[in-house]
Amino acid sequence: MKFTLTWLKRYLDIDKSPQEIEEALNLSGLEVEEVVTIGLPQLVNVVVGEVVKRGQHPDADKLSVCEVNTGGDELHQIVCGAKNFKEGDRVPVALPGAVLPGNFKIKKSKLRGVKSEGMMCSSRELNLGSDHSGLLILEGRPEIGTPINDVFPDGETVFDVAVTPNRPDALSVIGIARELAALFHLEMKKPNLKYSSAPQTGTSPLLECVAVEEPEFCPHYTAHCIHGVKIAPSPKWLQEDIEAIGLRPINNVVDITNWILMETGQPLHAFDASKLRGRKILVRSAKEGETLTTLDEKERKLAPGMHVIADAERPLVLAGIMGSIDAEVDDNTTDIVLEAAWFKPESVRLTARKLGLSTDSSYRFERGVDPACTTYAARRCIELILELAGGTYTGAPYVSGEAPAGNPEIETTPEYFNKKLGFEVGASIIQGTLQRLGISIKDSAGNWTVSIPAFRPDIERPIDLVEEFLRIHGTHNIPASPVKMSGIHTQDDTVATFNTNAGKHLSANGFNECYVYSTRSGAEVVKLLGQTADKLTLANPLASDQTHLRTSLIPGLLEVLRLNQSRGNDPRKLFEKGRTWHFDGKEVVEMVSISFLMLQEPLHRHWHPSPQNDFFTAKKTVHDILGIANFPADSLEFAHLDAPLWQEGHSASAGSLEKGVFVECGILDHKHVSDLDIKGTVLAGSCHFAPKLLRKKAGLASFANFSDFPPANRDLALAMDAKIPAGKVLAEIKKAAADACPDDFAADSVTIFDHYQGEHLPEGRKSLAFAIQFRSAERTLKEKEVNQAFESITQAMTSGTPYELRQ
Amino acid sequence: MEAELQALVGQAESGKDAIGTRPQLADFKATFVGPNGSLTSASKAIGQLPKEEKPAFGKKVNEAKQALEAIFRAIEGRIDYAELAAKLGPPIDPTLPFPDDIPGTEHPLTQTRDRIIGIFRKIGFTVEDGPELETEFHCFDALNTPASHPARDMQDTYFLPGNFAIKGERKKDGESFILRPHTSAVQIRTMAKRKPPVRILSPGRCFRRDTVDATHSANFHQVEGLYVDTNVTVRDLKALLDYFVKELFGSDAKTRLRPSFFPFTEPSFEMDVQTSNLKKLSGKWIEIMGCGMVDPNVFGHVGYDPEEVSGYAFGMGIERICMILHGIDDIRHFYQNDLRFLQQFKSA
Repeated sequence: MKFTLTWLKRYLDIDKSPQEIEEALNLSGLEVEEVVTIGLPQLVNVVVGEVVKRGQHPDADKLSVCEVNTGGDELHQIVCGAKNFKEGDRVPVALPGAVLPGNFKIKKSKLRGVKSEGMMCSSRELNLGSDHSGLLILEGRPEIGTPINDVFPDGETVFDVAVTPNRPDALSVIGIARELAALFHLEMKKPNLKYSSAPQTGTSPLLECVAVEEPEFCPHYTAHCIHGVKIAPSPKWLQEDIEAIGLRPINNVVDITNWILMETGQPLHAFDASKLRGRKILVRSAKEGETLTTLDEKERKLAPGMHVIADAERPLVLAGIMGSIDAEVDDNTTDIVLEAAWFKPESVRLTARKLGLSTDSSYRFERGVDPACTTYAARRCIELILELAGGTYTGAPYVSGEAPAGNPEIETTPEYFNKKLGFEVGASIIQGTLQRLGISIKDSAGNWTVSIPAFRPDIERPIDLVEEFLRIHGTHNIPASPVKMSGIHTQDDTVATFNTNAGKHLSANGFNECYVYSTRSGAEVVKLLGQTADKLTLANPLASDQTHLRTSLIPGLLEVLRLNQSRGNDPRKLFEKGRTWHFDGKEVVEMVSISFLMLQEPLHRHWHPSPQNDFFTAKKTVHDILGIANFPADSLEFAHLDAPLWQEGHSASAGSLEKGVFVECGILDHKHVSDLDIKGTVLAGSCHFAPKLLRKKAGLASFANFSDFPPANRDLALAMDAKIPAGKVLAEIKKAAADACPDDFAADSVTIFDHYQGEHLPEGRKSLAFAIQFRSAERTLKEKEVNQAFESITQAMTSGTPYELRQ
Repeated sequence: MEAELQALVGQAESGKDAIGTRPQLADFKATFVGPNGSLTSASKAIGQLPKEEKPAFGKKVNEAKQALEAIFRAIEGRIDYAELAAKLGPPIDPTLPFPDDIPGTEHPLTQTRDRIIGIFRKIGFTVEDGPELETEFHCFDALNTPASHPARDMQDTYFLPGNFAIKGERKKDGESFILRPHTSAVQIRTMAKRKPPVRILSPGRCFRRDTVDATHSANFHQVEGLYVDTNVTVRDLKALLDYFVKELFGSDAKTRLRPSFFPFTEPSFEMDVQTSNLKKLSGKWIEIMGCGMVDPNVFGHVGYDPEEVSGYAFGMGIERICMILHGIDDIRHFYQNDLRFLQQFKSA
């Protein structure tokens, strides 16, 4: 909402500076986005001067050195680059100390070695126009030394206020004036109507009837006839007013309706009466297949449910939104029908949204126009038309329905205010403050009945009154106090704790955390998921590379890797924590994910090579993350992974979407990675958790006593087919060991300490060696019993199994 | 005889420095205590001595033997040390860099988030988490923003198609799943499952259907907070904000509440901060968060009695706070992850 200071002052004797007005509005809830000065601002040390002598600069062809008289005892020497002046011309001169628009400070200086005591100015330099081709020659030859502000009229200050959706009352200059009157304790001067009433009787020949077919949409419709206007350009003041707020002057009648819209907040529409076929106005729903070409020259397809103002034959206006070219007021118009109505906000909003069209009019109707203002605005408008375009107001206005009532009265008490605010304010202060906003209070033994003006549809409840009071009373009056808090028995959500701890773990281990968008390109998600990618499509994406929900964090991390490589950085280990989405065949599941990447070897050389990363480095990192999630990693069985993104034979996964946890790790597909122009072999890992799983309560660990006696160690080496997974053999040995030990001792650890393939073993065979540690809780084990147990394990593992003992 | 023993020890003493290796040591030892060693043969003389002299001589032999062993140990110690030194190699150059010398980092947005959370945690706020794919009900209707509300502009929100189904989530006919535009939905979820008092933070990722530029990002992050109890007042909100701002920006930071509008709070405010230690922004009023008293209609949607309880809510953009704190001028840096950017924020 834009308005000028001059316009504002028509309704308010306000002597505050633009800065004070800006601050007051900001602190009362009407946020001033911008204050702009157009025209000449107040300038100090800028005066009328006469060029007494113009000479050539000794060292610069394009510069002249002038002697300028500004009324003082001495002439000023000024170096100038302009060409369009001669000796004897009078021009604006900015003397040292002046500050020109754009915070351009004028100082004594030297130009190419010649001193210059000021500057002669162009129009643009004084904010008087766009001309910068030469000096502004003052044709009227004003007195030498006259301050420039006495030569030109004052500039105009334009405010742009961002009005929140709850405040339709502030979408007019009168509304802003009302607000400022309340803030500064001033009296509003709402313009009086010049004529005491509209014509009471008679009908105008211009219009035969007004029929509102949809009274729920349009409870109040008025139409006024003016005969014999003369269409012409608007007077200068009117043009300046509307141009200052960014509108384009069209003709006197259209400009007046726009001006009244801005003044009162009531949108109006002027029809050329001769274009109303059948001399009829209908307020109706649009019919299937109807079209209308709006004033912006776009053809709009209408549909039932949208409301139009129509004549006997065709729709002419999108009700409350925009007129059509068919009933436009043009240079030949002589008779006018002026519409002032109140339309239901939700309906206007719906239609405007469907058509993707927002106008000054729809913007106000959507938010709620003051229903009590319809007639006043129409009468203001008619008076201006008669004054500026001539013509006669003929016949009584056509009126359908009546203005909707404002909000009902609110019952409250002053104590309620104090309770909500948390500090004491006297009842009379509250009452006085609210009254300044046009809110009236009837007090009956401390119980208040509060009447709300119709222009404030947002005030419905006692709490809304508290806000109004505080807004005007000033938030700086809220007393400072210490924070007082009682304990509440809740813990952080473990999903958040997990994310924090995992992030700290990875960053402490040399990983750089990245943030990547959650929306990805269709091509990428299709590559990962194939057909099911369309299950993750957004309904209304904006950018073509952000059409799908992400199902993996790895592609985003690869992009980061590529970006950093291409910029000559040395990326090695990256990770991201974020949500991913997965289709389970029926529904989409949101998972809490963490993924990481690491280069097998850093690309940049180092005098001291690091240990090379491999599959098992990635696997360990995955295990670390599972541990942080409090998930028993041993319960997951890793198996080879055959999926896009991953290198076959060098990647593995475990778990499943159904289980609520699944992980992947290994080397990323070489081709995929090199197609992305990424150098090096990339290892990666991902962990995905259902939030529910992370929220599972982990009980406190209970202490279990451990043995004071020494362990006995035995090693077992087995040869087998190389394809048999070590994990399977390990599990079998553990079981055999459990079976082999009597009740009073156990094999308390079995680990793989060697894995061998190659010389001394046939092709396709491998050897695994296991360290078994026996221990008793009660005594030192005897050689004999340990040998016996080990023998049983060896037996169990080598008879009737695919394993053979290796000596 | 005694003299012979002393000479022997003296001989060992003077010869020890020439011994530098283990074989030399073995030979050296043999010349004294080997089967033909000088001490071995000297000690044999005991057989010829009269009985009463034997103990004294035996003692002397023993003393000589101990002296020799001490010399051998000293030599062995010296050899051990020399071998270890050879194994360790020449002295290191302590100024050389260590391997894997790129430090890990938490993203500046994570650090800022944790910094904000830390401040509120001290006064008893705990963190709640919620899904990023949400229902329109949780994001709008329950927050007092019905479909017809001007604040609910579909242009700004990412929608999922009508037939989209999320495991464990229900939606009404005609309702859509959306990418959450704020984290307030978490507050609704929390209130719906928990009785007051409630004092929570809901940090997380949000989405806005926005064209990306230096100040706009289609993905962004918020921390929102909610406190509901009996008799929470505007003054309590002001106390909280003053506390937060002093913790985040230093004790000279001032707050200013500008009345504003959000559908889910009444009264609503934008909070500005003014502080002296933000370089270019010092002394200016900077908008950093929206806040207000929870609208009674919101309590209605979660089964709280607005006559019984009241509360405040607040929310801020993590990107914005991070940019202000660190003087970052382009929001896109956060999502590009250039290491030269990430490495600048090594410690919180």
